[in-house]
Amino acid sequence: MIVAENLTRVYTMGRVEVRALAGVSLEVARGEFVGIMGASGSGKSTLLHILGLLDRPTSGRVTIDGTDVLALSDQRRTQFRLNRLGYVFQDYALIGELTALENVYLTSLVRGAPKAEYLERSTDILRRVGLGDRIDHRQSELSGGEQQRVAIARALVNNPSILLADEPCANLDSQTSKSILDLFARLNEELDQTIVMVSHEDWHKEYFCRIVTLRDGLIGEMVECRKEPHPGGGA
Amino acid sequence: MFSGIRVSAFLAWKSIQRGSQGTLALTIMIIALIFVNLVFLPSIISGVVVTFDTQSIDFDVGNLVIEPREGSRYIDGVDGLQKKVEQIPGITGTSPRITAGATFFYRGRNAASTLYGITPEDERSVTRIAEYMTAGEFLSGGDTDAIIIGATLAGTEGVEEGGLPSLEGVEVGDSVEVAYPNGETRTYRVKGIFETQSFGVDTAAFVTTREMSGVLGLDDQASAILVKTAVNGREEAYKREILSYGVQEDVLTFREKSGGFVEQAIQSFNIINAISTLVSLIIAIVVVFIVIFINTVNRRRQIGILKAIGIDQQIIINSYVLQVLFITAVGALVGIGLNAGVTTYLTAYPLVFPGGPVYPDVEASAILRSIASLFAVSVVAGYIPAWRIAREDILTAIRG
Repeated sequence: MIVAENLTRVYTMGRVEVRALAGVSLEVARGEFVGIMGASGSGKSTLLHILGLLDRPTSGRVTIDGTDVLALSDQRRTQFRLNRLGYVFQDYALIGELTALENVYLTSLVRGAPKAEYLERSTDILRRVGLGDRIDHRQSELSGGEQQRVAIARALVNNPSILLADEPCANLDSQTSKSILDLFARLNEELDQTIVMVSHEDWHKEYFCRIVTLRDGLIGEMVECRKEPHPGGGA
Repeated sequence: MFSGIRVSAFLAWKSIQRGSQGTLALTIMIIALIFVNLVFLPSIISGVVVTFDTQSIDFDVGNLVIEPREGSRYIDGVDGLQKKVEQIPGITGTSPRITAGATFFYRGRNAASTLYGITPEDERSVTRIAEYMTAGEFLSGGDTDAIIIGATLAGTEGVEEGGLPSLEGVEVGDSVEVAYPNGETRTYRVKGIFETQSFGVDTAAFVTTREMSGVLGLDDQASAILVKTAVNGREEAYKREILSYGVQEDVLTFREKSGGFVEQAIQSFNIINAISTLVSLIIAIVVVFIVIFINTVNRRRQIGILKAIGIDQQIIINSYVLQVLFITAVGALVGIGLNAGVTTYLTAYPLVFPGGPVYPDVEASAILRSIASLFAVSVVAGYIPAWRIAREDILTAIRG
């Protein structure tokens, strides 16, 4: 469970102060698929960065599964990201020198998993995201959609309690975007995976259990929008 | 800890395997050349020392030289002294020499140089001049009208004179007139010409002790007695041993006989070597620093991503350090190969110094020292740029 309390984030650019978050409080329960929406510059990516421990707020508090993550040292935060969070970037953020399989099992390697175990699990996860026949391909040999699937597989390989996705479909065509969102819906419904996803596409709303809309660094609206499993989830 | 190193090694290897092979090869080549430079100069310096020592021992003065005590011109009672010294364990030969400045005349030309009186059999037990006859033969005990002449003094064709005394074309069988310092002159038949490539020896000439003693009016006397020991490098111990046997004359090691020339030369060479080593290591630091700096700057975003997905910054830094270690190790190996090639070439075609041909003397300690210093500077030069980028804020790094 994520509990964010009164988060502010102020960037200083020369003499100008930009208030990206002006006091956001949010709770995400286990198994929720929350969409964070809003116009460009509304603070949605900043919020996700803070929830993903990639950035620190200027003030406020974040608790994930009972841990005050802002009180952790940099090294503990790294371990927390490794063990508890999965992060999917807008532009895939794969390591170009590694194959799809190597990108996926890299974090398992860091966790000290036995080779047979991480190879089996990574291969299995790549099959589940539809890339069973592309595991030995490098980033340059994969399409945008395939790269994003590899990134999702990498984010999921260590069974994270929370999957954070920052506009994962921004660089994809609508068909590929739909397949990625169907995959998220399936993960959420079949595996009870908690997902927090930033998006600015209206049609993505149908996938979310709850929509948090940010305006000028504040929560403007919070809507419970889906009660039934999404058809794309396959449940 | 172990899994961290495993991940560092994994990332390092993938980067080496799938990164720019051209840059990798060039960097390895530069490290190899730096390694050659680190090893080459000390090997030449060491070679110069070895050459000087060998030439001194084999042709000039033996391992030790016994000289008349202060105030005396000659050693008296040479036979008795020889017997006394030769009974010392480890002494394998002694050779008394009479030394005199002389003027040599040949077909209207003349040259002033050193003439030695030797007992051929004794001389054979100490020096190797007899093995370096390029024409004719070495002296025999009964020779009274024969002389052997160094190739430089003889002026043999192809032998560089370089301002040294030369009779310009003496051949075996020719007659050479010698003017002794006491005014006596003798004509000798040239029995042989030798070439040791030690300029001090190749500008000299030798007659028998019997002949020279007769001319100079000496009896059982010598200017010096050369001493040969079973092993080289223990001259100081043998000197103490000889003195302990009650020898009253001055006993000098071949290094002492050189009057500190070698020590001074070594000191000067060491200063040159230190400067060369410093420059080489600075080049190594700069090259490795630039390579890793460019590498990390180009992968700034990748480093940010690695941190974002939960990889500790030390693992990332170590992956670059491991790349540097790999580059340095391969560079050192290539350097050892190149150095072996240079050494082989210079052994076949040695550098010629005034003291004789200089062969590179590659010492294992010099190689180990070079490898150690190269690794040390490379690791530091690789660590700093990797550390600078890896400690950067994640989002800043990802945004590039």
